[in-house]
Amino acid sequence: MDVCTFEKVGIRGTNIVVLGVEKKSVAKLQDERTVRKICALDDHVCMAFAVLTIFIGLTADARVVINRARVECQSHKLTVEGPVTVEYITRFIATLKQKYTQSNGRRPFGISALIVGFDDDGISRLYQTDPSGTYHAWKANAIGRSAKTVREFLEKNYTEDAIASDSEAIKLAIKALLEVVQSGGKNIELAIIRRNQPLKMFSAKEVELYVTEIEKEKEEAEKKKSKKSV
Amino acid sequence: MAATFFGEVVKAPCRAGTEDEEEEEEGRRETPEDREVRLQLARKREVRLLRRQTKTSLEVSLLEKYPCSKFIIAIGNNAVAFLSSFVMNSGVWEEVGCAKLWNEWCRTTDTTHLSSTEAFCVFYHLKSNPSVFLCQCSCYVAEDQQYQWLEKVFGSCPRRNMQITILTCRHVTDYKTSESTGSLPSPFLRALKTQNFKDSACCPLLEQPNIVHDLPAAVLSYCQVWKIPAILYLCYTDVMKLDLITVEAFKPILSTRSLKGLVKNIPQSTEILKKLMTTNEIQSNIYT
Repeated sequence: MDVCTFEKVGIRGTNIVVLGVEKKSVAKLQDERTVRKICALDDHVCMAFAVLTIFIGLTADARVVINRARVECQSHKLTVEGPVTVEYITRFIATLKQKYTQSNGRRPFGISALIVGFDDDGISRLYQTDPSGTYHAWKANAIGRSAKTVREFLEKNYTEDAIASDSEAIKLAIKALLEVVQSGGKNIELAIIRRNQPLKMFSAKEVELYVTEIEKEKEEAEKKKSKKSV
Repeated sequence: MAATFFGEVVKAPCRAGTEDEEEEEEGRRETPEDREVRLQLARKREVRLLRRQTKTSLEVSLLEKYPCSKFIIAIGNNAVAFLSSFVMNSGVWEEVGCAKLWNEWCRTTDTTHLSSTEAFCVFYHLKSNPSVFLCQCSCYVAEDQQYQWLEKVFGSCPRRNMQITILTCRHVTDYKTSESTGSLPSPFLRALKTQNFKDSACCPLLEQPNIVHDLPAAVLSYCQVWKIPAILYLCYTDVMKLDLITVEAFKPILSTRSLKGLVKNIPQSTEILKKLMTTNEIQSNIYT
C-alpha cells in the first residue's frame, strides 16, 4: 500500500497545543468541507476543553475509529461524570487498534493518529498512535511521508523559548510544515486549543499572515548574517 | 508408490518420469485448434519494433541498425519522468522508433489500437551525438516478451563498446533487510552492475538477498552474458505512482559518468518536473 503523502504536525506548547496539516487539493466538483482532517473527539461544556485528533492513512478507517472514540468519550462522561483525559482516550484508541492486529479475519486499521488536548490539571498533552496499537507521548511530532525531515526540524527548533508564547508555537508548527509542503501557506490548515478556551480553526488568511511574518523574519535573519560576514 | 497415514497406497509423483508417461503424451498431442490458438496468442503478444516516420517494422534490431556508445533506459513512470525532466530537456532528442506490445497488463483487449502510454517503449537519440540513445519504457513487458524485446533492441550479437544505464523503481516492501522498514530512508537508491562495468556507482550496491525483477533484470542479465558494461539504478520507494520525492531520489545519478554532459539546466528541469506532477495528480479520496 502506498504511503500517504500529506504531512501532519502536532506541537505541545506551554499554554497552547497546535495541530497543523497539509491540505490536499480537492477535485473541482468536490465539496471541500467534506474532506475533514482535524476532528474533535470531545468538547467539555463548562471548561471548553477539547481533545483534537488528526489521522493519517485510510480515510474510511479513520472515520470508524473516530466514531468509536467519540462514543467512548461520552460513555466515560456519563459513567464517571468527568471528561476523559487525553491519555485515557489515546489508550482506548490504541487498545482498539491492537485488537485488530490479533483477530482472525480482520486487518489492522491503516491509520496513525496525533491526539492533543488539555487535561483537567491544565497540562497540555500530545500523543501519537500507530497501526500496531502502540502509543507514545511527545512534545512535538509529525506524521506522514516526510515525517523524518519535519521531526529533525522540530528537534532542532523546539526550545523552551519557542513554545513559551502562543504565537511562537504556532509559527513553529507552520515553519515545520513549510519544510515539506510543496506550495506554501495556502496548502496549510491549522487548529489550536488554548488552555480554557474552545478550539479555534484558522482561516486561510490568518495562516497567510503567519506565513508572511515567518518569511519577513527569515529575510531579516539573512540580512543580519550577510552584514556580519561583510 | 507411497503409503499414507491411513494405510492406503497411492501413486507418488516422480520427477524422473515413469513408464506411463509415454502413454500420457500421446493423449496430450496438440490438436489443430490448439495450435491455432497458440499461434494467435503468440501473434497477439509479439513485440514489434516500429520505425518512427513510416510505422513499419524494423528488419534488423535497433542497435544493429544504429551505432550506439551510450544507452540509457528508463523503466517505470518515475524513472521516465526523471529522464523527461532532467535529460530530455537539456538537448534535442529525436525519436528513432518505438516498441509496441500487448499483454494482460494493458487495459484494453484491443491489440490494434493501443495508447502510447500503455504499450510503447519509445527510443530517442541525441541529435548532436546520434550514438547516444535513450529509451522511455512506461509499459509492462511480460516475462515471455522480455527475450523478444531484447532481441529486437540489442540483436543476437551485440557490440561490447557501449555503456548501458538502466533506471527503475521498486516498492520498498520488496527490499529485504534486517532493519525495520519504518526506519528506512525511502526513497533510496541501490545499484547493480555487470562485471565489465568498471566505473563506480553513485550509491551503495544492492545487498543480498535482494533481487531485480522484470525487464531491468532481463537487460542486465543480457549485458552480463554478452560482457557489455551496464549498471542498473534501482530506487526503492514507498509511493509507486508518479511522485516528486521519488523522481528526485534519482538526482545523484546526474553526477555520474553515464549522464554527465547530458544534463544542463537543473533548475529548469525541476520546474518541468513540478509541472509534470501537477498535470498527473489525481487526488484519490482513499487517503487522508
